[in-house]
Amino acid sequence: MAAAPVPRTGTQPDADLLVKARHVTKKFGGLTAVNAVDFDIPRGSIVSLIGPNGAGKTTFFNMITGAYTPTAGTITFDGHHLVTQSGNRMRSLKPHAVTELGIGRTFQNIRLFGTMSALDNIRVGLHVHLKSHWWDAVLRLPSMRAEEEYSIQRGEELLELVGLEGRGNIWARNLPYGDQRRLEIGRALATNPKLLLLDEPTAGMNSSETAEMTAFIRSLRTRLNLSVLLIEHDMRVVMGISDRVTVLDYGEVIAEGSPAEVRANPRVVEAYLGRGAASN
Amino acid sequence: MSASSRPIQPGIVGWLTHLVSSALNLPGAYRRELERRRGRTLAMTILAVFAMAYPVLNRLYFQPFSRNVFPLPFPEDAVVTFMMIFGIMAIGLNIVAGFAGLLDLGYVAFYAFGAYTAAFLASPHFGSVSVVLFSNTIQGFPGIHFPFWMLVPLAMITAATFGVLLGAPTLRLRGDYLAIVTLGFGEIVPVVFKNLAAVNFDFGPIHLVNANLTGGNLGINPIDAPHFFGIKFGSSSGIAAVYLGMILLVGAILTARNLERSRMGRAWIAIREDEVAAEMMGINTVRTKLLAFGLGASFAGVAGVFQASYQGLTTSDFFTFATSILVLIMVILGGIGNIWGVLVGALVLVFVDKTFLPWLGLRFTEISPDLPNPSQFNFLIFGVLLVAMMRFRPEGFIPSRQRAAELHHAPPGQAIGAAATMGDAAIAGEEAVEELAAEQEAIATADEAAEVIDIEGPPGDAPGRAGT
Repeated sequence: MAAAPVPRTGTQPDADLLVKARHVTKKFGGLTAVNAVDFDIPRGSIVSLIGPNGAGKTTFFNMITGAYTPTAGTITFDGHHLVTQSGNRMRSLKPHAVTELGIGRTFQNIRLFGTMSALDNIRVGLHVHLKSHWWDAVLRLPSMRAEEEYSIQRGEELLELVGLEGRGNIWARNLPYGDQRRLEIGRALATNPKLLLLDEPTAGMNSSETAEMTAFIRSLRTRLNLSVLLIEHDMRVVMGISDRVTVLDYGEVIAEGSPAEVRANPRVVEAYLGRGAASN
Repeated sequence: MSASSRPIQPGIVGWLTHLVSSALNLPGAYRRELERRRGRTLAMTILAVFAMAYPVLNRLYFQPFSRNVFPLPFPEDAVVTFMMIFGIMAIGLNIVAGFAGLLDLGYVAFYAFGAYTAAFLASPHFGSVSVVLFSNTIQGFPGIHFPFWMLVPLAMITAATFGVLLGAPTLRLRGDYLAIVTLGFGEIVPVVFKNLAAVNFDFGPIHLVNANLTGGNLGINPIDAPHFFGIKFGSSSGIAAVYLGMILLVGAILTARNLERSRMGRAWIAIREDEVAAEMMGINTVRTKLLAFGLGASFAGVAGVFQASYQGLTTSDFFTFATSILVLIMVILGGIGNIWGVLVGALVLVFVDKTFLPWLGLRFTEISPDLPNPSQFNFLIFGVLLVAMMRFRPEGFIPSRQRAAELHHAPPGQAIGAAATMGDAAIAGEEAVEELAAEQEAIATADEAAEVIDIEGPPGDAPGRAGT
């Protein structure tokens, strides 16, 4: 990057691109997990990140959410720098600040708040948009009560949106697996994101559930005007849903383009199936 | 839900109007509550009435009966007052350890801050000055004399400030490390209070030569008793002090309950459940944990002020590690995470420690003077009780349902069964169990399948790399 220090917040929001990542690198000691990756997410699109196990997908994901700080590179989101550089020290926005800017996520291995009700899980997602302070809570001021009423109402709307209406009182851990996946998406939507990051949303689902989830993700995009970044192993999902696909291998982008282009790319076939298969 | 039925105007005026109208509506609210949960509401009412009447009944009937007819362990007024003090502390520690899941082994430090706040600001200790403010002490009397109602908020602020100061650098630590740091803090604070008895300090405008700040081993006394409407609420007042303690305790219960049912309460529980997920959902985990620490500490501040003002003295000997552990045992035995549970834990433990064991000791000596005195073995008894509880009922007497479920950590398949018995997943029912079993199989197969990625090309030729 340039020698001049990057300002804390804000470039002009890009008209077309929601996320713009340039030369993003992450090293863990001697291991380069992600190497100089350029990556864009156009507004309103569904973008997939695929690659073999250990290719650096989740590492890249975690750099967007602020869980990891890149070793080098820049990531901007909707006119905000997620990564800043002061001297030669890189800083990331904290995950909660990233969430507040409008990035919601789910987890590969479901991480719901198990002994909280489904509704309360969603209300935790609403946390950033509730403004009452602890003293409001102690005194139960009218503004706080109104906000709690709102959070219940909005939580129930979101439960309905993800198809869990009437199940708000059940503990998250007692919901069936598919419903837990949906609840996690509901909780992410409660943060009112512009970008939804889904980490293997169909892992562990059978083919009919997978098809249902795929249709659901597509409907979310149109109904909520979201952009979606997907990490997925199931190629039927990736190929069926994505506008663009980026393939990572050994931390580098080896292919990028529409699903059809990526599918035909010999390097992708090689990365997944080995050299022998590619040359056949 | 009266809140939803009638819109509330914003602002303080709206709140006051709402408060008045809900106060007028109270019998109606009680009737609704009675219709909703009859048994529980009736039991709570009887308990509350008994608690309010106890100090009077104790003086008029229980103590004379115990003295004259048959010896029974009825707690005396002083013991009941200490039940209130420890009840407040247990409820405060429950915010830190129960809601937010932060193990604090040095909670007694905040109790000490509260007590010394009263000792400094309501005693003749600093005799070289005379500050008498809204107090019943005569103007010009040596020392600083603030009234009790000012000491309480001041002690809350002091304790909370030190809570935040301790928490700021340490709350990034997790689990055992946090416990060790708080343990150290709890040891340091009383020692500091003990040793600030002969301070030489000369810097800037402050010149101290052999200054006795904290009274050292002797502590500070006499501390002014709480004083309202011409009545003193000190240890000599008996019943009056019990009622003052009860008012403070009810305030603590309401505060803790209101916090639990708010956005903060949900954030604390979310952090306890899964800190990473909570952070990712937009909760500022450091700030939220600091808040738990600070607010929890302020409860101990109130308890400390009340203890010092009630007893009229405070010394660093009151604030030992054993007291921290005692409060923690109250929280764990009573039911960590449940306000009513920890309250019961506090009442029972103070009763056993200060009334039941001495009473048992007297009965023993009546039989034979050679029998051991059980009150010497109080911590042994609590320890055995704790081990037994951990073995048979780790969630405590009156558990929080969430904590009970966390402690009896069953695999998801069983958890559904357990939940169904709890009447929790009545809707989910048997279908869910079957569905879940099928899903578990699906996960198992999917995990295997994930190794070989389904992409067009000759299958089984070369499997995908296993990474990292």
